[in-house]
Amino acid sequence: MTEVVRLAGLTKDYGRHRALDAVDLSVEPGEVLGYLGPNGAGKTTTIRILVGLLRPTSGSVQIFGLDPWRASLPIHARIGYVPGELHLYERLTGYETIEYFASLRAGRATHRDRGTDLHSARTLAERFDLDLTRRVRALSRGNKQKLAIVQAFMSRPDLVLLDEPTSGLDPIVQQEFHVLLRELTDRGGTALLSSHVLDEVQRLADRVGIIRAGHLVAVERLELLRSRALHKVEARLGTNVRHDYFTQIPGIRDLSLEHGVMRCGVPEASLDKMIKALGQLQILDIAITEADLEEMFLTFYGSTEADVV
Amino acid sequence: MSFSIVRRTLRDQRRGLTAWAVALAGLVGMYVAVYPSVSGNSSFAKMIEQMPKAYRTLFTTGSGIDFTTPAGYLNTELLTFMGPLLVLVYAIGAGAAALAGEEDRGTMDLLLANPVSRSRVVGEKFIALVIGTAALMVVLWLALVGEGRAAGMGVPLGRSGAALLHLGLLGVEFGTLALLIGAFTGRLAASRAIPAVSAVTAYLVNGLGPLVGWLRPLRKGSPFFQYIGHDPLRTGVSGLAAAVALVSIAALLTGALMVFRRRDLGA
Repeated sequence: MTEVVRLAGLTKDYGRHRALDAVDLSVEPGEVLGYLGPNGAGKTTTIRILVGLLRPTSGSVQIFGLDPWRASLPIHARIGYVPGELHLYERLTGYETIEYFASLRAGRATHRDRGTDLHSARTLAERFDLDLTRRVRALSRGNKQKLAIVQAFMSRPDLVLLDEPTSGLDPIVQQEFHVLLRELTDRGGTALLSSHVLDEVQRLADRVGIIRAGHLVAVERLELLRSRALHKVEARLGTNVRHDYFTQIPGIRDLSLEHGVMRCGVPEASLDKMIKALGQLQILDIAITEADLEEMFLTFYGSTEADVV
Repeated sequence: MSFSIVRRTLRDQRRGLTAWAVALAGLVGMYVAVYPSVSGNSSFAKMIEQMPKAYRTLFTTGSGIDFTTPAGYLNTELLTFMGPLLVLVYAIGAGAAALAGEEDRGTMDLLLANPVSRSRVVGEKFIALVIGTAALMVVLWLALVGEGRAAGMGVPLGRSGAALLHLGLLGVEFGTLALLIGAFTGRLAASRAIPAVSAVTAYLVNGLGPLVGWLRPLRKGSPFFQYIGHDPLRTGVSGLAAAVALVSIAALLTGALMVFRRRDLGA
């Protein structure tokens, strides 16, 4: 199977500032790749290069095997794009916006039909409860974001490039968006989803690329990422026990023991040892929870810097 | 090609264009209405003769003041200053909005995410600029001929058409310059300011050329000289002047295409 998106050694400089440094990343057909990182890490730069708005300083970029800088037309006929910094035509209505883009997408070269796109846009707008007759200027931030999603998905794209697509959306609409994304991948479509909302990536992505300060720190399957990550253990103990009873468990961190309540993090690989150690003691209450991506982030970056999230 | 960008751009301008058209027709009507009192009034002509020569030359772009014939009157009043001023304000505004406006406001990202090449965007924006300017010229022409006739002024159909053809070329030239600056910078303010300053410079070079020795050789390079140096309201279309204008427009447009295709678009 050939990758839908392939980045090799992608580097982008803005003057003397290096925004992306030798990023290697690929997105397989039918998957959702979560692209996770703090603001300013290079997510938007990557996506704008993929859309052909920026030219890479070095390295290679391919979408459907084509170079987005040189062959933007055949690529754009097959992609949908939700920009990170959304700017729509303020003076147009939602419908005029959709109509404009549909007419730009239509034509023999793109094998698109304006009517079909318009029809699917109307259906999507209904699903998201978006009033297309209102002027963009008069729409709330969330409604503008809905319009961005509608225009990105209306032509049944093979690939969607989504830069923080759910920012400004309320939870119910986010849920509907997740369903929409699932429908896309179910019919073989692919998505690159940039986000700093960890929960969202956790729910949607098959694999996660973690980027920080222009460097791709890791690309992992979500399950692998989880298995590497810490599990949080909290136990109320009936037995008096000393701190160093637990310290020999490999990989244990953030251990605390106060008023008979033990709290710590252990990697999945050490869970068995942890349970057996606890088995020797009287347990009044216990909770073991999976660490979320935020904590995974910290283990990957090996730091607790405030800008990580 | 469906020319969707041309149609969208012109539709966005429809209110502005209508306002321009009404204003231009009104302006012509005002000039025409005033003409009988000006032409029959000898003291008016005497007053003008007493003006400093430099002043007269500047505001008539060298063709001299003649209020006794309709052509001379319109040349002085409408075609040398007010007409070009208004047409240039429209054309530079439209040329700047074409690329820099979209980029400055951030809408260029979504526009170009459609299967639309950058060259097509530049090309269609240019076509919209030409159509918009041409529409204003047609309005101006109809107003001149129609209102002139109604007032018994007898504005020649062909010659006034020739003058407006050259005026339209002047507008498109500076509008395309604004397009080029927009392609280069992506900034709305620069795309308006640089062509505006260039137009004033070109106006002064043409107007003062006959008076200032060192400006004289530059005068023929001024787009204003191509526009009105041959006095189109009396002599008609100048093939040479039109060709120079067209070549300049083509060069500016080619520059815009080349620059816009190579540039990183603003984030």
